[in-house]
Order: sequence, then C-alpha cells, then structure tokens
Amino acid sequence: MDFIAYIKDQLKQQPQLMWVIYSSTWSTDFLRFYRSQTNYNISKNNQSLYLELYKDKRNYGFSINDPTQAKIDAALKEALDILDKLPPDPDFVDLEDDLTLAEPREVINTIEQIPLKLKTAILNRIADAVRPYGFEIYGTFVCCHSQYRVINSNHLDKSSVSSPIFLEVKAVHKDSEVTVLENFGGEDLAKFDEQGFTSGLLRKIEHCKNPVVDVEAGEYDVILAPRCVAEFVQYLTWGMSARAYDHHESFFEDKVGVQVFPPHISITDDPTDPDMIRLDYGSDGHIYKPLKLIENGVFKAFMCDHYYHRKTGLPKNGNTGSCLSISPGESSLEEMIKSVQNGLYISSLHYMNFINMKETSITGLTRDGTFLIKDGEIVNVVNSLRFTEKIERILRNVTALENKAHITAFSDNYENFDITSIKAPHALIRNFQISSSTHTI
Amino acid sequence: MEHKIKSIIQKLDNGKIQFADARITINDSESFYFDDGFLRGFSNNIESISVGVRIMIKGCWGFAGSDDLSDASIDRMIKTAIDNAESGALFKNEVESFPALPATKAEYIFTPEIDPFKMDKEEKLDYLGKLATAIKPQGKIVYSMLVAVFKREEKFYANSEGSYSHTVYYNTMPLMQVLASDGQQNQSRTWPGDMSGGRAGFERFYHYDFENNTERIIKEATDLLTAPTVSEKKADIIIGGGHLALQLHESVGHATEADRIFGMEISYAGKTFIKPEMLGKFQYGSPVVNIYSDSTDPRGMGFHPLDDEGVPGKRVDIIRQGILKDLQSSRYIAHKLGLAPSSNMKASFADDYPLVRMTNFCLAPGKGSLAELIASTERGYLVDFTKTWSIDDNRNNFQFTTEIGYQIKDGRIVGIVKEPTYYGITQPFWNACDAVCGEEEWKFHGTFSCGKGEPGQSMLLSHGVAPARFRNVDMIVKI
Repeated sequence: MDFIAYIKDQLKQQPQLMWVIYSSTWSTDFLRFYRSQTNYNISKNNQSLYLELYKDKRNYGFSINDPTQAKIDAALKEALDILDKLPPDPDFVDLEDDLTLAEPREVINTIEQIPLKLKTAILNRIADAVRPYGFEIYGTFVCCHSQYRVINSNHLDKSSVSSPIFLEVKAVHKDSEVTVLENFGGEDLAKFDEQGFTSGLLRKIEHCKNPVVDVEAGEYDVILAPRCVAEFVQYLTWGMSARAYDHHESFFEDKVGVQVFPPHISITDDPTDPDMIRLDYGSDGHIYKPLKLIENGVFKAFMCDHYYHRKTGLPKNGNTGSCLSISPGESSLEEMIKSVQNGLYISSLHYMNFINMKETSITGLTRDGTFLIKDGEIVNVVNSLRFTEKIERILRNVTALENKAHITAFSDNYENFDITSIKAPHALIRNFQISSSTHTI
Repeated sequence: MEHKIKSIIQKLDNGKIQFADARITINDSESFYFDDGFLRGFSNNIESISVGVRIMIKGCWGFAGSDDLSDASIDRMIKTAIDNAESGALFKNEVESFPALPATKAEYIFTPEIDPFKMDKEEKLDYLGKLATAIKPQGKIVYSMLVAVFKREEKFYANSEGSYSHTVYYNTMPLMQVLASDGQQNQSRTWPGDMSGGRAGFERFYHYDFENNTERIIKEATDLLTAPTVSEKKADIIIGGGHLALQLHESVGHATEADRIFGMEISYAGKTFIKPEMLGKFQYGSPVVNIYSDSTDPRGMGFHPLDDEGVPGKRVDIIRQGILKDLQSSRYIAHKLGLAPSSNMKASFADDYPLVRMTNFCLAPGKGSLAELIASTERGYLVDFTKTWSIDDNRNNFQFTTEIGYQIKDGRIVGIVKEPTYYGITQPFWNACDAVCGEEEWKFHGTFSCGKGEPGQSMLLSHGVAPARFRNVDMIVKI
C-alpha cells in the first residue's frame, strides 16, 4: 500500500490544514569487532512515517513505525481531535516553500556492495598486518542504506537516497594499550585504499616504540589531527545555528561580517564535494547548497531553516553543518612537526562538552594516540590528557594549516544513528591549554 | 505476543544454535516542548513495535532486528541472524560460551499513579502550559524551556532455555530551564536537573514540586550573573543528589561495566581502568562508600524480573566498604571472569543488541541529614545541577561543572558561586568521601539518555543516592 498517497488523500479532506510528511526506510549491516575478532554482527531495518499537522499557528506531530492503514487512521483521528485545543505558537508563519530539486546522482547500495564475508576478509588482512607489532584491532565496519522523502502542503515533494560506509579501526597494543587510529568514510568501497589504510596504521605504530610518558598541565604548541580540527569546528558550528542565535546562546550573535578568526581560517558547509558523504536536502526539504560560514576569518552566515528564518529574519539556507569543510593552508605536515620544539600531536578527542556554549568554553580529552614532539620530532606516546579551552581561542591561535585536507567520517551514535564526514587539514595551534593528565592510555 | 515470541524460539530450535533469545517491544512515547512559554512541539509515537533475534553459533553472536512482525519478516530475520553469526565466526579466535540457567518465568506490570497516556490531554497541556508561562522571559531571563517526555514499554522476552518474561513499565522525564543574560554572559538554572527521569507517570511533575521552584530558578539564574566564582584551588564539597547521581554514573557505573575490560566498547564509549585482578583488593573508595547494582528494586527504572539474556534480576554489591567486590557483566563475560552474571544485559528496544548496562546503580545511604552535613562542614561548597560533564576513556580523569554552588562557611550557606568546576582522578576522589547522608535524603534519580554501543542506544536507568561530602577536592580550571 502507498501510505503516503493514502495520507495525502485523507488530508485533502482537511483543506484548512498545513502538513508535512517525513517518510524513511533505513537499514544497516553493522559489524563490531574487538581483539581482532567479531564482537557481533547486526542487521537492522525499519520504516517510519512522521507527520506534522498545522492549523493556523497550532501544530501537532506523530510518528508511525511500520505503518498500516489502521495505525494511520487512528493517529490522524487523534491528531485532528487535539489540534484545535492546543495553544498557538505565535512565531509559526508557514512551512518550507523551497521547491528546488537536487541534481540526480547514482547511489550504490553499500550493504549489497560489501557483504559480511568481504568485511571480515578485509579485517582479517588488517589484523594480520598489525599483529607482528603486538597490536590487535578494535572497531566498527558499517554500511547503511536509507531512503528519505519529505512532502508538504506547499507542493514540496523531495526524495533522497544515501548509503554511507564507515570503517574505523583502532590498533591497540596488547600490553601497553597504546592505541592508534585509522578511519574511512564514503559512498563507494572503490574509493577505499586498503593498502594505504593499513600503511597509515603501521606508520602510526612506528611512533609507539618508545616508553609512554606523562606531561604536566600547561600551555603547549599542538598539532591537531584533521579529525580533531573537524570536531572542534563541529562543536563551534552549534553556535552558528539560527536556533542558538534565537536562544541567545551563540558566540556569533552580532558578529555577521566581523573578523572573528585569522584570515587563513575558512569554513564551508559543502555538500557537493564528491569525497564527502553528501546530502541533497536539509531536514525540511530545502535544497542543500554550499554555504560559506567563515571566509578568511570573517563570520558570514548563520545556518537557518524556514521556521527560524520567519522568526528571526535571518536569511534562509537550510544548511545544518552536516558537510563541513575546513580549507587547507600552505604547510606540509612534516614542516609543521619540525617547527615544534616542545609540543604535542593529538590524534583524537573524547567526551567533549561545553562549559559555556556562548563563550565556546569546552572541556574534553585526548585519546587514541597523543604524542610528545621534541625538537621537531615525534618521540613518545603521552598518556591521554584533559584540555579546557575556548574553541574560538583555539582557532584564533592557529598558526599553520596543512596544505591538504583529509576526510574523517563520524558515526553519530546518540538517538539517531547517522554517518557524516568532515574535511579538514592538520592544524598547528599555539598555547593550547592542557589542564590535567589522566595518567592512563 | 506471548505465542508469537515463543514461536520464534521454536523456529530456532536446531542443532547448530548454541543459544538464542528473542524480544518484542511495544513502545509508546509522548513529548511536549515549550520554549519561551509557547508550545513548539507536541508529538507522540504510539505502539511502535520492534522485534529482535539473537543467535549464538560456533561461539559467535549474530543479530537481526526489525519493526516488521510478519511471519515472512521473522523468517528473514532468523536467516539473517544465522548468516551474521556464521560470517562473524570467520573472524573469530575465541569461542564464546556460558553455563545454562534454569528456565524462569516472570510477569510484572507497573501501574503509575497517573497514566500520562490516559490522562486528559487538555488537563495535561493546561498544567504544562502554566508552568511554561511562569518561566517565560522576564527581567534578565532571555530564554526558557520546559520539556516533558512520557514513555511506556511493554516487553516480551523468551530464550532457548525456556525462560520467558512479560513486563510493562512507565517512565517520565520532566525538566525546565531558564537562561539569564546581562548581554555579556549567560547563566542557566534547571529544575530538577538533568537526572530527573524516573519510573512513574505524570505524578513525577508533582513529586518534584515544579510550581514552587519556578521563582527559585529565575532568581538563582539572575543572581548567578553577578555571583563570584570559586576562589580556592582546593575545597571540601558536598555534592547534591542529582549531580552525585551523574558522578556515580560516570566514575563508578561505567568503570565497572565488565565488557569494557575486554575492549568491547573501545571503538565508541571507551575502556576502564579496572582490571580483573583488582576484584576483592582494590580500595575504590573510603569505607563509607558502598555501591551496588540492584535490578530488583521496582522504584528505579533499572528494575526487571529478567534481563535481556534471561538472567533473573538481582542485587550485587559492586563496592563494599570501599573495596571493589564485583562487576556488572553479561553471562559470557561473567563466565570468563569466574563470576556469577549480574543481570545487567539490556537493550534499548527489541531491535537493539543487548549490552552490559547499568540498571539501578546506587550509593548506599550513610547517616544524617543534608542540614547536618552542611552544619558539620567548616568551609566548602554544596554543588548541584549538572552543567558540564566529561570523563576520560578509562573512567579515571573527570571534570564537572555545576550550574550553581552554595558557599558554606562555619556550617552555614552564606552565598552562591557560579559555574563551580571540580576535577579529579576516580580512586583518590572516592577515597576522599567522608560522609554520605542517610535514608531520609536517599532518592532515585534517573536519565533517559545513557549512550553506549554501536549502533548507539540510549538507555533509561536510575541511581539511588544521598548527598555526600568529599574532602580537599581540586577546584578552578584555567579557561
């Protein structure tokens, strides 16, 4: 049964209503491994509908998983009964009206492209490569496939398909627990360079030969790996949302057009980069186009959906910061490392939380490979460290950016599982504040 | 559904399957979101069905989950779960197994005082709307929000050992927040804090006396704008119940999840500093620190008659008089460590894979009231209402900031401080605990959103705690 057609038919009898229907089918094949072996294999799928009904300024929403006609009828009846009794939202004006369609593109179903036997074969080879060095592999190898459609009473009707791959391998030393990390994300296994991926792990393992050391709290010159730059920028962009602006929680309030960072900092939300996990539409169905957030250090725009556009007057763009790209600079990574006399290389971050979002103050930890740099060379693994910083200060203290950018994939594990990617170069930061050591790897 | 789930188990009765279990969950949820006094979101999801099948073949787990309960779908799921186990076994060097348990049958139906799904919607909206209006932007308050989330879960569980359970639970999470600004800085206050979830219906709102706390949070958020910060590098702190629940959660609860010892969570949630050889020896805390996992207490959201792999609910002493005694475990991990399984395997929904999870993870009460504890504190701070939390991969180094601190001098509260931050290392911190308040202050606090596993699962769980004092704690972090 075509449930969407059925719902539209039912809603035709309620011409006074505005409405949005979100429909999705989602499936995943999820291999989780530890100690160079399978932990578990999961296959999941679900189908869901979410409807929002609006009458004047009143709105009500409901989800239906595994829909049936009976479930739809019951939910619609309940919604229509309650709608008139709800208090109005005075800031609601109307629904998304951008009808622009994305360019069609071919999407490979990666669940079909990469059966479990292929995944385990790849992992066996990687495990074999690191084993002679005393390391075992831990991580996840995920393929998802989702179809998404949004339809509203403004004649918007858009569909998109996505099928990202996520492979993250942590190589952990059996005795010392020293850890290094490699990551791949994309939309086609053909872009996965297994040899390069394995070489990357082995290169990092080379840096783990010397004893683990601790460092004191204090200010250090640090080189942030691309995934760390990506994460800091991801957190920063929470303050670039129109919602944060409206809630008076944005660092960027009153800063449109203001030079907030050095001129070599440029950040774009770019869904068109073919190396990234792309996105056709924002959550309301607005076309997703490149948006300059920071250009040569100047804050350019808030990410704004239709609702907050009407409420705040900010320009609408439909962006959500899901395809962030940080522009590269002019230095090679080797030059950056050589320029550090006494500093740190940070591979990955863990458990960050804002202390004060408006001030961009944050605390978090390093993990999966923190290294001491002495006289321009990586010399020791360092215990994981706590930092307490302001992201805006970190970006103000960027003194060099690598001359190429790398893709890092992230699996968003809270509430809704999702895979996204961010493109960033290594960055050299002066006076990064390490606040304490964990005394453990 | 009983017939359905038992028929799934019957289909799994073949020679090559070592163990199998199946779950069906039927979930209702309803949420209200007001900001600045206006209803922005009201949504529900009724009778959301999930089904999951977990199978062990050749010592390897395979799992399949779906929201489609048709026979054809279940047959596909069984085939997929078997394929997943067999394919997984190609990348496996340890064969998993565990001893059988006797079959257990159980039924438990929780009845809330006020069923939020049967309560008149207008009455519910009227009550919530009045609260939201009371905290609308005013004076220095520039933003406010009120959230109410109601959940009902009906679960059917069966396994290949003949165990079966049927349970119904209701859980409610109420929260309000105001944000004050002087144009330069923001300060916020919540009520009753982030750990507000509990096994209850709508009565949870009345339990927390929301009406009589709206003025309090408005005043405190406003006062925080001009309040000083903590000036001492080290101080004695009393941690209030809501925030102590999180401290316990992060630095003891997750640390004593035994799957972390074997690296099963390295790829996402992390590891633990705990090693098996520490059991029975490690001085985790001072002698006043007694911590237990108790899935038999029906007051908490972690109650269950059977966990999600058929282990009957139980109370397990994790730390007794400061010494680490036991761990939260699965059947396989418990077997590997020579322990009895602790009944901590849980999945958020039936189409999620069960993981080692906290249930009701509690700090046992000590003696005395909070007023008595404050009166016996010469100088220090009472800190509560979580603002920021962070802990390392091994659950060793933590740093927390609360919304407010109440300054104590000569046994009396003399003022407030903003954003008090404290930090430390888990073992010395719990060894610096010299007092835990008594039964009269002991309450369950709970969260709806403990994240773990991949694909990620948000778990509902509870912590029973009473306020406790910690001596000479590191304060002040340069930002």
